Amino acid sequence: MTDITCTFAGDREQTLIAYLYDDIDASERAAFDGHLSECARCRRDLASLGGVRRRLASWEPPQVSSLKAHLSPSGVQPAAIDRWYRQIPAWAQVAAALLFLGVSAAIANLDVRYDASGLTIRTGWSRPASTVAATTPPAAINQMHPVSLVNRDDLAALEQRLRGEIKTAAAAQPVRTPSAVDADTIRRVRALIDDSEKREERELALRVAQVLRDVTVQRQADLAKIDRNLGLIQNSTGVEILKQREAVNYLLRVSQRQ
Amino acid sequence: MTSTDEELVARSIGGDADSFNELVLRWERPIYALAYRTIGREEDARDVCQETFLRAFRALPGFRGQAKFSSWLYRIALNLCRDWIRRERRAPLVQPPEDVDLVELAAAAEPSETIEDLVARRDLTQTVERAMALLPEEQRTAIVLKEYHGLTFQEIADLMNCPLSTVKTRLYQGLTVLRRELAKQPTV
Repeated sequence: MTDITCTFAGDREQTLIAYLYDDIDASERAAFDGHLSECARCRRDLASLGGVRRRLASWEPPQVSSLKAHLSPSGVQPAAIDRWYRQIPAWAQVAAALLFLGVSAAIANLDVRYDASGLTIRTGWSRPASTVAATTPPAAINQMHPVSLVNRDDLAALEQRLRGEIKTAAAAQPVRTPSAVDADTIRRVRALIDDSEKREERELALRVAQVLRDVTVQRQADLAKIDRNLGLIQNSTGVEILKQREAVNYLLRVSQRQ
Repeated sequence: MTSTDEELVARSIGGDADSFNELVLRWERPIYALAYRTIGREEDARDVCQETFLRAFRALPGFRGQAKFSSWLYRIALNLCRDWIRRERRAPLVQPPEDVDLVELAAAAEPSETIEDLVARRDLTQTVERAMALLPEEQRTAIVLKEYHGLTFQEIADLMNCPLSTVKTRLYQGLTVLRRELAKQPTV
């Protein structure tokens, strides 16, 4: 391939590339034109690299939805806000959630236990079972509370208390009105879903076409194989018939002699 | 009348968000294409593209017009791509092509094209993507900037912080590898 000697005086590769992309001085171009008329190797390289460029031209990146879907008309800040949570590592988010639960349980003085008497859940406003257990013998406990742990009154009190807490919390929490950010988020999600569905459909069409093509190729290969096998069978059958005929002829000849 | 990039930049610095959005509309496609061809992953290319404009927006007050706005934008995008490649610690992957747009393009340009032709074209695209993914980052970037963005050798050298002769060498070496790889796959 590279056995043809090139006698170009300058840096061949650099000049070849500059010539290929037409990013070259007029004088250099003229000089290389002259060289090309004499050098088959450079002509061949130029032609093959030009072929590579033509094939590269077929590479189109996939279409994407405009960044308008990600950047709001008033600027880029909402998108930046939208992405802040992605900068927090997942482990930190999980840790924060666990911390929140732990703090909530501590505030409520939550006491969860599971023993022979079943599941018991107490909060700070219920009488702590541990105190009773520490100061009162088990027999006395049974006397005082035939159903020793959660009774109906406790549950009612807990329910009342929770209802009150929830009502207070709801009143304290500002009413969140649907904002423009929400609407924008919904719109973007819908756009993404639409895009995704379209992609799926087209991908499916292409896959089906590929499968069809593969099936066709396989079918042609199978047909060719069957043809070949049939040919072999015919050949062997022909040979067999020939042998049979020779045997019959031989027998005839022998029988005529006798 | 269409404003130049420089005019839009000046107005954006003055606080006109619409002007910046105009710049985004004008340059999002080239920047996305650059990112996709450099790192080869659709979602990540989209993130790089978005991050490029976010960074440009934040850094806009510091932009003094030493370079063309497009060159400045390309530099931001290339730095982000480089960061991505280093962060991932792997050669850029070429996604299984989601080039479904090819169908749209083909349908729009050549209504008579059959689905088999589309598949064949997609195969060709895949071949090019795979061959490009084999190149070292510097060669691939040089080829992408020259081939698909039409930058001059000097502009590429400025962007890549290397001598002009190095750019040409990278192009030659990259194209030579591509020639060899593409020769293994017949043209469709």
